[in-house]
Amino acid sequence: MADEILLIDRDKSHADALSIYLERQQFEVFIADSVENILILLDNLIPDIILADPFLPELRVINLLKQIKNSNPSTQIIITPDHDYYDQAIEELQSDVLTYLQKPINSHLLDLSLKQAREWISLNKKLDRYAGKLGDLHNAQNLYQQLFDEVPCYISVQDREFRLTATNRMFKKDFGNEIGSYCYEIYKHRTSPCPDCPVDATFEDGESHQTEEIVTSKSGKHYNTLTWTAPIEDATGKITQVIEMSTNITQIRQLQDHLTSLGLMLGSMSHGVKGMLTALDGGIYQLESGIANKDDERITKAFDQVKHMTDKIKDMVLEILYYAKSRALKYQSVDVNQLAESIKDTVEPIAKKNDIELNMHISPSMGKMDIDSNWVKAALVNFIENAVDACTYDRSKKEHHVDFSVCEKRPDYVCFEISDNGMGMDQETKEKMFTLFFTSKGSHGTGLGLFIAHRVITQHSGAITVESELREGSWFQICLPRKRPEHPRVVDFPEMNLNNSGK
Amino acid sequence: MKKKILIIEDDPNVVDYLVSLFEDNGYKTFSAGDAAEGLKLAKKEVPDLITLDLELPGEWGPRFYRKMSLEKNLKNIPVIVISGMTGNEHAVGRAVASITKPFNRDELLKIVKDSI
Repeated sequence: MADEILLIDRDKSHADALSIYLERQQFEVFIADSVENILILLDNLIPDIILADPFLPELRVINLLKQIKNSNPSTQIIITPDHDYYDQAIEELQSDVLTYLQKPINSHLLDLSLKQAREWISLNKKLDRYAGKLGDLHNAQNLYQQLFDEVPCYISVQDREFRLTATNRMFKKDFGNEIGSYCYEIYKHRTSPCPDCPVDATFEDGESHQTEEIVTSKSGKHYNTLTWTAPIEDATGKITQVIEMSTNITQIRQLQDHLTSLGLMLGSMSHGVKGMLTALDGGIYQLESGIANKDDERITKAFDQVKHMTDKIKDMVLEILYYAKSRALKYQSVDVNQLAESIKDTVEPIAKKNDIELNMHISPSMGKMDIDSNWVKAALVNFIENAVDACTYDRSKKEHHVDFSVCEKRPDYVCFEISDNGMGMDQETKEKMFTLFFTSKGSHGTGLGLFIAHRVITQHSGAITVESELREGSWFQICLPRKRPEHPRVVDFPEMNLNNSGK
Repeated sequence: MKKKILIIEDDPNVVDYLVSLFEDNGYKTFSAGDAAEGLKLAKKEVPDLITLDLELPGEWGPRFYRKMSLEKNLKNIPVIVISGMTGNEHAVGRAVASITKPFNRDELLKIVKDSI
């Protein structure tokens, strides 16, 4: 499109001559010879260039030019004042004007001025475009920052050393504003990078990786997270940083916890259930054979048994349904030595099978204690089984032993101590061992055992103390009150709080 | 002469069931509710086969088995473990069979028949 030029001149012939000259140079020319004409033209026209005789000493054109320049800064103005008013024109218009040409107009100077004007116009257009783009960019950046902040996940950007270089709002809320700290410090309270780090894997192969993690917030809460990573590349395609997105799936895990606990409880009750089902089978068998032999006495007896068993099973199902909400412990007075013996009988074959020496130190006549013996036994067996496992997994020593002792360390408390010279635990394992689904045994563990064991002990108002040294072994002390506490701890589902675990 | 089966089991309902089942099928039975009583009966009667529950009051099934294995005239008696514990096949390594409760009675009878 040709540049539009507004020619302001009272001298009609001078204007026509200039117009012809300008049209030859591909300008579209509009001529105005009065202020009124200018106003009419400007209704439909924003000229690229104005070539004007300012009608001095009158100031109307001068003011009009100032207004145009003000509302359309890109319009370039060339002033051609009469010789007498040259200085006044400069004084009035100053820098609003591109250049001043004296009349009569020198065509070379005019060409130069027009060329300059066109350059200015194109520069201005470019600048406008850049400014627009910058604005868009700014808006886009704001939008992405907002997205980054508002995503309901923990997002962190990390460098090769796992230092946090950016985090989003949710991350800051739960883990603090810790730019520059190490990911493993903030998420896991570790002093060295975690094994099988997905960020590390992404730095290595440039692929996205997914893991499930248990992280510890600044307030000490444990969260299960589903973590995804993705590489961030520089212009040359080199991976400079990795973005890590973690979705908090604690609620899902808690629900699972609830369901698994139910399953686990069913498992632990299974002995009873299986016995009842067997007895029910027996009743049905006797009923069948009684009917076949027309033995009324047997039929009556068998029917009674079936009825009795059906009632018992009904009771148990109701109990399970009740448990699904919250489970109360069934306290019984238990002989401590008998309990210890029965634990020994359960774990001895396991230790023997794994070629691990099991030493028992049980003080004689430990007396009685009030506990839910099924749960406590299951919990203690679990600790011993873990000790055996810790030995089995440890390859640094040839001879392994697990010690189990029962004694009265403080009055009214029975203390069970389990120690091993197995692989021991690092800080992370120590912090998380009682967490649901945390396991250090890979596919061999379920992450359930110690979680349930911890809950059982806590429900009994007991305390667990743990000491462990990596590659040296572990020591667990479980102290339970002899008498049922008057204000028992109510442990509701789901229970992820580890504050009572001691360390 | 009828073959003799010793049932070591603490649940009286299950004892009843096993007694009826075995006697209906032509065996003579004795039963004991715990390991000590079981060992005493075994020594006295020297049965042809023993069914053994694992979870018993006092001494458990594996303990009974160890003690029984020390007796010359008892140690070769076939033992069938009948228990509610899963993974019970490890508890008594030399048992002829380990079955879990609730069990299939035809299966149990077949194992008994095959063993003695």
